[in-house]
Amino acid sequence: MKGQEFVLVLFLVCAIAISLISFLIYKSTIKASSEDGAGIKNPLKKRLYFLLLWGGVLIIIMSVTIPKSPYFMYTEQTPTMVINVQAMQYAFIMTDETENPTFEIPAGKMVEFRVTSNDVTHGFAVYNPNNVLVTQTQAMPGYVNKLRWVFDEPGKYNILCTEFCGIGHATQTGSMRSDFIVK
Amino acid sequence: MHKSLLVFTFGFFCGLNLYSQSQEYNLSEEDRLYTKVENVKILTTRGEMLSLSQMYVREPFVLALVFTRCIGVCSPLISNFKEKISELNPKEKFKILVVSFDTADTKADLDNYAKLFNLNQNENWVFATTGQIPELIESVGFHPEWDSSRRQFEHDALLVGINGNGYIVKKLIGIRNIRAVESMIKEISNEFVISYPLPHNNSILSCFTYDPITGKKKPKFGLFLLLVPAIGTVILLVIISRQKKKKISENY
Amino acid sequence: MNISLKRITSTWIITILLLFFTAIILGITMRFNQGKVISIDDGKFYGIMTTHGMTMIAIWAVAGMVGVHYLLSRYINVGAGLSKFAFIMTVIGVAMFYVTTFIGHFHAGWTFLYPLPFKNSFAWESWATPMFFWSLTVLGVGWLVWSVGLLVAIFKKYSFSQTFAWQHLTKKDPEVQTPPLVLISAISLVGIVLCLLTAVVILVLSFAEIYSDGKFVNDPLLMKNLIYFFGHTIANESLYLGLGIVYELMPEISGRPKFKTTWYVALGWNFTLLFVLTAYFHHLYMDFVQPLGLQMFGQFASYFASIPSAVVTIISIIVLLYGHRIKWTITNLLFFIGITGWIIGGVGALIDSTISNNIFLHNTLWVPAHFHTYNALGNVLLILGFFTWVANEFSGSQTDPMRKLKLALLIIGGFGFVLMFYCGGAESVPRRYSVYPAEFTRAALFASAAAWFAIIYLLGMSLIFVDIFKKCIRVYSSSHSDSSVA
Repeated sequence: MKGQEFVLVLFLVCAIAISLISFLIYKSTIKASSEDGAGIKNPLKKRLYFLLLWGGVLIIIMSVTIPKSPYFMYTEQTPTMVINVQAMQYAFIMTDETENPTFEIPAGKMVEFRVTSNDVTHGFAVYNPNNVLVTQTQAMPGYVNKLRWVFDEPGKYNILCTEFCGIGHATQTGSMRSDFIVK
Repeated sequence: MHKSLLVFTFGFFCGLNLYSQSQEYNLSEEDRLYTKVENVKILTTRGEMLSLSQMYVREPFVLALVFTRCIGVCSPLISNFKEKISELNPKEKFKILVVSFDTADTKADLDNYAKLFNLNQNENWVFATTGQIPELIESVGFHPEWDSSRRQFEHDALLVGINGNGYIVKKLIGIRNIRAVESMIKEISNEFVISYPLPHNNSILSCFTYDPITGKKKPKFGLFLLLVPAIGTVILLVIISRQKKKKISENY
Repeated sequence: MNISLKRITSTWIITILLLFFTAIILGITMRFNQGKVISIDDGKFYGIMTTHGMTMIAIWAVAGMVGVHYLLSRYINVGAGLSKFAFIMTVIGVAMFYVTTFIGHFHAGWTFLYPLPFKNSFAWESWATPMFFWSLTVLGVGWLVWSVGLLVAIFKKYSFSQTFAWQHLTKKDPEVQTPPLVLISAISLVGIVLCLLTAVVILVLSFAEIYSDGKFVNDPLLMKNLIYFFGHTIANESLYLGLGIVYELMPEISGRPKFKTTWYVALGWNFTLLFVLTAYFHHLYMDFVQPLGLQMFGQFASYFASIPSAVVTIISIIVLLYGHRIKWTITNLLFFIGITGWIIGGVGALIDSTISNNIFLHNTLWVPAHFHTYNALGNVLLILGFFTWVANEFSGSQTDPMRKLKLALLIIGGFGFVLMFYCGGAESVPRRYSVYPAEFTRAALFASAAAWFAIIYLLGMSLIFVDIFKKCIRVYSSSHSDSSVA
């Protein structure tokens, strides 16, 4: 299951569970016989348990997810290819070192995008052949961000802008290169 | 006090005459990255005959391409780089290899050149000539042109960072600031540098600056600006909480 | 309670709700355009987007202020003057802002990410950028005076440490008790003052660039940090003001004993201030130039911001309600649903604040999904709860017609609306697109469905508004001797 589907399912499960708990609490206030109903016994202790439980869950999730952050990916390897990306209103200029007219990236090999912007801040988001956002970085003027990635799935990848950059933001596929082929 | 604050603010914004040219993405600096440097043979001023691979397997190095007759950028390049390194005092181990790209340069010329910078005794600096100039400069993407009227090469001030596997991992063109040098040293030592500023990005509003006159790295105004609101809020809270209290019993 | 505070509160409520309707209609227009039901040109679309965002942020921040101002007058001596001043400044600021977007065609988004406002001179009138910053200045001055004024009023009665309830940390039953409303208001107001001072820095830097003829250039990274610190913090503090109101009113309306400040309430809210000020780093995860330590701290702060709020607020509400017979009215039902919506939105936010998820969720529709959840289904409902309560106070009437219908419309419309955003986010659809590229086959369908759901939400809101409006206008005709409040 791809990341996006996983987080949607996770979110919906949590949302339904929270709604259900809310509903049960609401029900309990309707059913309660008198104003001094039973309520929750030992609330301070339960609060402590909840604190420990929730804190523990957060620490576990953090220790699992932090190492998967993009900043630590493929840092030990040497890229097989560097693609220099200059974002501008409203296009991306991408140059690989050989300046091939057909822009191809080898499948299964680590490549490095060096992304910057000529004008305003843009987003550099790579969409795979099934139109799923696989990775991204921001294109900020004055700075170059290095985005390393391995494309396993062959096909045509598109680049879309993911930072609002003005009137042509939605159509920043431009006349220049905004896609590449993974072979 | 208010007056002086106003004068300060006004002076601050008017006195700054900042660069305003757009930051061009210099693609020649990106050329030949992650390719291997040509394994040429060099003759050092200490009389050693070495291949580049013999050098980089021992320690990564920064390659500087110069010619001794240069009346232009070569000397500033070397002296500036020397200055930046002594300023940084990096813990990483690496060598600096200065190679002449002028066929007229001899071992003795390079030796004198090293003495000019007081680097002839420095173990970390290697000055050398090579018989394979075209192969070397081609492999690092360096394109000097001979101007016969001036009897000088037209060329970039180029530093090439080579890591322990012989890959070109960073190139710097021009006389650069301390951050660029620092990031080059990190990269040749196989430390991943995820982002770097473009040349000319010396806006006063970034966080640190290198002052070439005092040779000190000092916090820039940008860092301070991030803290201004927090400091302002604390001062404000202290001021308004020190006013005279009314009796607590006034309300319930 | 003084009549002029009631009148200005009533004026605020009517103004806020009218602006809210305007902003919702702008939002529906955008979703219909994305759904290809209607077609407006891109410049107009982004102008509408900028107006929608700025209006929503502004009105819900001031709505929280209106609420705590009114309720704080139970504990501290605070007149209507500050609120009146802020109202005038807000009206002027918003009017100037509408001129920049509707006449000047300014459309850099309410986040006005540097250097976009300065790099688009061909897309909008040249006077629109400075006027935009001047409108922010007017709004900022009004709110800053208001926030500082309220803090001054609090400090007149409570010492510095009492305001932040530090005496509750060391003593079980201290002599001076800090009411939760005072503690939460003060914490939120400090955050608001801090982000407004940040706005001052942003404005000074922006004006320096505007009026120096290009001699002064800002650093995009610094500006992004400042802008997101401002934007993130003001959005979060608005919500905390709403929670302060819930702490004050929920027990009272539900017929349960008042909330008391305890050591964990004090500790929790003090920590909230710390976390909310540093969580903004999660907006810069995809800016690899930001120092790594700040990125890590961003995820830590975003996660742990949930601990004080979850352990303190949520459990307190559960303890208050569970197993007790509660008299439900529209007010406490809105509070209750609002808290639920806030938690659900928080789950969406936690998912996105995880760096390894952010790489595929950043600036997709997941982002508007989560913040619409805790605004439209969280903060808005909390504040609306206050509005219904205060309207009853103004009129002395407790009528509550069509309660079930109103709430059903809000819940169905609201959750349906945000669900379409979540689905879009899960399909990688980028946010802030006037039209979707053809590759996103279902994005247009989600957009038009969302617009219809928003109309349902708007219907529910209108029914509530009619009731509030009828009750609020009575305050203008009532005499000074009105004494329906303790």
